Amino acid sequence: MSTKKSPLNRLRRSLGLDTQNEWPSVARERLLAYGLLAVYVLVIWFPIYYIFITSIKPSSEVLSLPITFLPQNPTAQNYVDIFTNRPFDNYTINSMIVATTTTLICITLGTVTGYSFSRYDFLGNKSLLLSIVGARMIPPIALIVPFFQIMSNPPLIGGLTGSLYDTRLALILTYTFFNLPFAVWIMKNYFDGIPESLDEQAQIDGCSRWEAFVKIILPMAKPGIAATAILAFIFSWNEFVFALVLTSSEQAQTLPIAVSLFVADDFVDWAHLAAGGMIAALPGILFGLFFQQYIVSGLTQGAVKE
Amino acid sequence: MSIEKSPLRRKLDKLFVPLTVGPTLLWIAAIIIYPTAKLLLSSLQFRNPVTNEMEFVGLRNFQRLIFAREGGDAALGVFSPSFVSITTNTVIYVGFSVSISFLLGLGIALLLDKDLKGRGWFRTAVIVPWILPYVMSGLMWRWMFQSDFGAINGALQRLGIISGNIPFLSDGALAMMALIIADVWVFTPFIIIILLAGLQNVPEQLYDAAEVDGASRWSRFWNVTYPFLKPSILVALTIRIIFDIRALDLVWVMTQGGPGKSTEVWASWLYRTAQVFNEPGTGAALGVVLLAVTFAIVASLYKIFGESPYEA
Repeated sequence: MSTKKSPLNRLRRSLGLDTQNEWPSVARERLLAYGLLAVYVLVIWFPIYYIFITSIKPSSEVLSLPITFLPQNPTAQNYVDIFTNRPFDNYTINSMIVATTTTLICITLGTVTGYSFSRYDFLGNKSLLLSIVGARMIPPIALIVPFFQIMSNPPLIGGLTGSLYDTRLALILTYTFFNLPFAVWIMKNYFDGIPESLDEQAQIDGCSRWEAFVKIILPMAKPGIAATAILAFIFSWNEFVFALVLTSSEQAQTLPIAVSLFVADDFVDWAHLAAGGMIAALPGILFGLFFQQYIVSGLTQGAVKE
Repeated sequence: MSIEKSPLRRKLDKLFVPLTVGPTLLWIAAIIIYPTAKLLLSSLQFRNPVTNEMEFVGLRNFQRLIFAREGGDAALGVFSPSFVSITTNTVIYVGFSVSISFLLGLGIALLLDKDLKGRGWFRTAVIVPWILPYVMSGLMWRWMFQSDFGAINGALQRLGIISGNIPFLSDGALAMMALIIADVWVFTPFIIIILLAGLQNVPEQLYDAAEVDGASRWSRFWNVTYPFLKPSILVALTIRIIFDIRALDLVWVMTQGGPGKSTEVWASWLYRTAQVFNEPGTGAALGVVLLAVTFAIVASLYKIFGESPYEA
């Protein structure tokens, strides 16, 4: 009887197991699942590893052959450079202000509106909700022309503000437009999961609608609000196209734009680009590692209606 | 004990819905009505290069866009691709990206649905690519595929698979492949999240029953898992497709539509005409096409899967 030379058999041998005997199927399946997942994770994390080590190599090592997969002289110089030679402090502050403000507006309006949609029947509430969902289908890129025109010459408030081109306010308004429908939808679905009898009991006990909402329901909705806030923050932090169309200088440009600026016509400053990229990616990586369950629940509430 | 509500409080209670819904609706109405109206208007106008005025030209922007031939565009004064070629590129890009990431995501979701120790860690690890800024991911892949110092050429050489450098991003077909790989890398986590949530709806007993009946793995998936997973598959595919048609970030930072026009897709051509060539009319016309195609795709996907889009 010949022994099959499959990788699985080799693994069995290295674990000191008899290759002729079948494993219990559950154990075999589990090991296979672990193996496949481990390979998948290693493959998808390799580019992140490579851009990270690029960011801590001196420029000379980045552009030398053969390429190194372990940095020979790790250094933080690239990070120091981008904050001294380029206004990365401004870009970071812009990103923070834009993403935080957008998030605050979206969760405030999204929460109160989502609650009313969940609890009350009012004129045309079904079709209004549908149009909010439908608003998410409009491709933002189709609207770069009108948004550029609107922000350069804002209607109604134009006399007061002048052109909003190249301001953080233009980005905040734009990002709120695109994130608010999503926020309303997630929060509405979240409130649907909180029993209505709680509101009724509070109102029987003498609370007004406002008090019932603020004192009883809102505290219970914290996980939903957190999920909405994290997603709105990530979407605004990462946004590129409208930042490209609506800004032109460091007074409003955000980190995604800053990173793309390392690409010149025929030369790319990879070492510094990698450092800038890591700065831009940091919140995402941290959110992903520590708040994964909120991201998952937010997306699930927002996309799939149970 | 119930407390009598004062008239003021009753009045405030009556205003609850208008005050909580009103501002949001006004805000969202602004996004739907005003910019969309402006988009439709712009698509019917052409910027006169001499006077810089927007002139009404009827449907001529659409005519020029759709019947454009490869080569010089007299009106734009630039080399333009034909509508057929950017549409073909878009279909190839979206088609391959969505189907590969769907199959991969389904496989990983099925693995993560198993009762494995430490699957929380795996879940965290597979989600991260989707959370990073697309620009950073696109540039990261451009760096991976870089012909001299990129990790892919470097690794292939070290493994002895190739001897020279493969110019991934300066060859049309390879550049498209690189874009698709980056897109799959970024968006597979989204598929995984949505399908994993859907898998929670499959009742455990049904699996056990199917196992007792001696159903094969394939028939277990098709007869037990799939019916419960169908709504999630529909949502995942719909969002993936419509978000990929509109996606500019990866294309713009990785290839800018090049080399030549081999990776020019709808989104990049829209951006180029509207912003780079300062010809808002053509960009707006393509925007209208994109909007119409998006709604058509959503409608037909829901038709194919036989579900109402508004089950809510």
